[in-house]
Amino acid sequence: MTRLPVADRRTVRRALRDMISRHRRAVGIVLALHSAAAVVGLAPPWLLGTIVDEVTAGAGVATVDRLALAIAGCVLLSAVLSRYAQYAGHRFGERAVAELREEFVSRTLGLPVSVVERAGSGDLATRSSVDVATVGTTVRDVVPTIVIAVVQLTLLFGAVFLLHPLLGLAALAGLPSIVAVTRWYLRRATPAYLTEGAASAELTETLTTTAEGARTVEALWLTDDRIRHGTAHITRVWSARRATLALRTVFFSVVEASYPLPVALVLLVGGYLFSRDIVSLGAVVAAALYLQQAIEPMDRLLQWTEQAQRGLASYARVLGVGMVPPEPPGRTATSQGERLVVRGARFSYSGGPDVLHGIDLEVQPGERLAVVGPSGAGKSTLARLLAGIDAPRQGVVSIGGCPVTDLDPAERRRRIALVTQEHHVFIGSVRDNLSFAAPDASDEQMRSALVSVGADWFAGLPDDLDTQLGDGARQLGAAEAQQLALARLVLADPHTLILDEATAALDPTTARRTERALAAVLAGRTVIAIAHRLNTAHDADRVAVLADGRITEIGSHDELVAAGGAYAALWRSWHTHADER
Amino acid sequence: MRYLWWLIRCQPWRVLRGSLLGTTWMIGLSARPYLIARAVDDGLRARDTRALAFWVAAIIVAGLALSYVGTMRHRTMTFIREDAKARTAEVLLRHLSRIGAALPRRIGAGEVATVGGSDINWTAEVLTLTGPGVGAIIAYAVIAVVLWSISPLLALCVLVGVPVVGLVVGPLLRRLERAESVYRQQQGALTARSGDIVAGLRVLAGVGGRDLFARRYAARSQDLRAEGYRVGAVNSWIDAASVAIPGLFLAAVVWLTARMAVTGDVTIGELVAVYGYVATLIVPVWFLLEGSYQLIRGRVAAQRIADLINVSPDDVGGPGRRWPGPVPDARRPGALDAPAGPADLHDPVTGLTVRAGQLTGVAADDPAAGVALADRLGRYVVSGTTWGGVPLTGVALDEVRSRIVVADHDSYLFAGTLRDILRPTGGDAGGDEHDRIRAALRVASAEDVVDALPAGLDTPIDARARALSGGQRQRVRLARALRTEPEVLILIDPTSAVDAHTEARIAERLHAARAGRTTVVITTSPLLLGRADLVAHLSAGRITSTGTHEGMLDYEPGYRRLVARGSEDPDIERPADTEEAYR
Repeated sequence: MTRLPVADRRTVRRALRDMISRHRRAVGIVLALHSAAAVVGLAPPWLLGTIVDEVTAGAGVATVDRLALAIAGCVLLSAVLSRYAQYAGHRFGERAVAELREEFVSRTLGLPVSVVERAGSGDLATRSSVDVATVGTTVRDVVPTIVIAVVQLTLLFGAVFLLHPLLGLAALAGLPSIVAVTRWYLRRATPAYLTEGAASAELTETLTTTAEGARTVEALWLTDDRIRHGTAHITRVWSARRATLALRTVFFSVVEASYPLPVALVLLVGGYLFSRDIVSLGAVVAAALYLQQAIEPMDRLLQWTEQAQRGLASYARVLGVGMVPPEPPGRTATSQGERLVVRGARFSYSGGPDVLHGIDLEVQPGERLAVVGPSGAGKSTLARLLAGIDAPRQGVVSIGGCPVTDLDPAERRRRIALVTQEHHVFIGSVRDNLSFAAPDASDEQMRSALVSVGADWFAGLPDDLDTQLGDGARQLGAAEAQQLALARLVLADPHTLILDEATAALDPTTARRTERALAAVLAGRTVIAIAHRLNTAHDADRVAVLADGRITEIGSHDELVAAGGAYAALWRSWHTHADER
Repeated sequence: MRYLWWLIRCQPWRVLRGSLLGTTWMIGLSARPYLIARAVDDGLRARDTRALAFWVAAIIVAGLALSYVGTMRHRTMTFIREDAKARTAEVLLRHLSRIGAALPRRIGAGEVATVGGSDINWTAEVLTLTGPGVGAIIAYAVIAVVLWSISPLLALCVLVGVPVVGLVVGPLLRRLERAESVYRQQQGALTARSGDIVAGLRVLAGVGGRDLFARRYAARSQDLRAEGYRVGAVNSWIDAASVAIPGLFLAAVVWLTARMAVTGDVTIGELVAVYGYVATLIVPVWFLLEGSYQLIRGRVAAQRIADLINVSPDDVGGPGRRWPGPVPDARRPGALDAPAGPADLHDPVTGLTVRAGQLTGVAADDPAAGVALADRLGRYVVSGTTWGGVPLTGVALDEVRSRIVVADHDSYLFAGTLRDILRPTGGDAGGDEHDRIRAALRVASAEDVVDALPAGLDTPIDARARALSGGQRQRVRLARALRTEPEVLILIDPTSAVDAHTEARIAERLHAARAGRTTVVITTSPLLLGRADLVAHLSAGRITSTGTHEGMLDYEPGYRRLVARGSEDPDIERPADTEEAYR
């Protein structure tokens, strides 16, 4: 497996810079508004300091009233400013996240299938769900929180500096230990929290699957096994939680122990300055209160840095998908005719041993060829070569004289369709599930396509073509999903069809009926059917027997039966009949 | 509620420690404003350097102590919550593992996922109340006393005002949470769509339509963005209000106190302290508010957990008690004695008799009838099936399960290494076990499945073995069933997804491997039936004929039509009108 790439630090930084410069105006407005809100938010402690000074100086009730009213005014103004700041930030976040996820999906859709398969579809699935969501949360929630906290802290410390530079210096007393322990914590936190998350997800899965497979648990006496398995997961969750708790223990105790240091130092330095009449008592009180006030944004900042770090890691993985070169456009758009020719094709999966050893095959337009053979003989690999998903390591696969991999991908898919036993039903309506194969198809055409593949269940759907399919809606069984895939194929109407066990999920009788109906609809098309049921072979014009990556027998059904080779033996055991013995 | 009590009673000392630490921490929070006030009053204002130094030292010491208490509180509370989670998970796990086949009939797997995923956590969160919850109440009282000593009027204002502010702001924040949850739901749906595209990438590669999907996704993404704007417009106001309201209250308190300071009712230091107290009082009030919501949510969650625990295993082995007469309690001693050794099974419903020590093939016209037959023979339903003449329903269920194994064609594959999957009874990993696994794999013709995996038998497989192909999964299931080596093995459609070559091999090896032991294969595959000692044709709910495969092919046309899926079957006519319908 070759994993999908992950963007390096430089790429991530450049992408971030690009994003910010694209939204330069929005970022500027957000910062300006937050700063204004925070500046106004600083006023109340300062005003309280003024009250202290005024009262000490013997001011009257009127002064106090005025100042208290000013405090209330500041609170209101700060709230209004921060509301607009937050809203602007929110809009920026939404826009950026939307751009990001759309870009991701369009990149994903452009990935060559072979790259995704080599990386394992799990990797891409994680990136599309977990990583895109993590980046989304980071941009929408974490970044604003951090921006606000940083702006507030900068202003609070700045204000203390303004009161007196020496007080400002004293205020920084707690920072070294906080910075040191944060660095220590961040280095360890992300892997530890990811382990914790994975462990608890596994535990949930263990409970759910135990319930799902309850009958199997009883049938095969798996009770003790399930308990042992689950207990192991519980232990794992417990120790993962202990590990993160240990990290937090160190982190929180150092951070919290650092909080009183600046307050204490400011009071001492302030006392010295006050005794020399360099600063007023009110200034010292205000400085102490500012620092007390700084604890809350500091806490917020520290709590969210770990999230931000995780967001960056996810961002690197999201960007990584864009680093895969997209499927190359074909060199030629057209070819002469539809004759499919395979010459000396050899193939191996990423440097492994050869799976196909020199295949030679010619398929005439309109011919039906069945490919049979034991599992692992290379049938599906041959199908992929014919469909142009993989290129042979040696030799050539061509259609109308042009190598299939040289065709433009969209053109290739229009002409050669591959349907496998993998039957994916997309979230959406029946129409959504059909229309992408033939965007111009009318509703009537869709209905007859479904009828033609024997999808009788369609008549019972509540909303006709608009019936929603997938999780939480109508769930299609394997057989129904397969018929849907075949109907899609009928609509796409390609010249050449490759059916890789395309009816395996249907019961034998339905499969047979569906295949025949399909054959009637697709008369005149080239059909290459890979099958494990021999009656498919019986219906074909020619049969190719594939064993160990070689074509060992090829000819019509009757010829092969007459030849008395492996195929004939198999046919006889499959189709034991009194007359034939 | 009883369940919650139980979780607390399981760890009394820890809960007590949590309450103590929670209380100390909460009270400790108000120490700093007090100390700062003393430092201002006694040290700074009085220009007393020694007093200043003393109070500053006190601030540092108190800070260190508070950090220690806070950390210990967090640790204790985390342990209390984790203990509750682990305990609940274990109880659920043991219970789910025991209920068995009755479970799917009583409760959906989705419900178990909810319980396992979130209810366990909600329930555990309630226990937070035992620590800071208790602490919050006491801290509130202590601050009340201190404020009272400064000024009763002020105390009254603050003590009533802070909870009122909390009650005003709390529901606002709930609204915010609700608006967010709608957004998150939509976001989840969008994420599901992108996952859907990833999962269907191969289909799109086979048939085309990528641009359409990109456009559809982009349209939905823009919808979500618009929804995000709407949510943001409302939420930012709520957020601002939730900051402004306490801020205004604080301003009012400051105003009141400052006026009192002017008249000399309170000192300047006390003025500063009141400002601090109000700020710190917000912490316990928040805790209580949060706690009450946690309690509501946690009670619902605990109820769901309790409901799940109350689902009991099925004693009679099936839904309904249609069995005439009293059904013996099969899980208790005193049930009927099972036959000591291998014995014939007889199903009166269809009239099938399974001979001990033989391989019986059953070809069913209706697949559902075949599954129902297996359910009766394996005692998953109450029926009149007899085993060596003894009613099967009367035999202890444990004994039936350990001697008769029904292998469903869709039996569940749990996550684990392939070796774990194939070693269900928990045997040791000795050489003997390894050989037996290998033997079972050979019979199921599944050696190539193992060879194709990167780490062979030790490759981890995810639940349902989604990474394997249909045929591979089926062979792994078959190998697992064979590995249990039961006295009676009932296989349902064991080779429907396997190619003919492999099926022929399995049929041959299965016959040899189960020689002398009772095996029932429910299938329509001529390859498997051809290897059976005896085949039976199940048609319209009854066994209509029995005999050897060859004999039945010759003399039973119904059986031949069902089994010989050959060329000449006249029952499938070519649907000539289909093409017209499409064009």
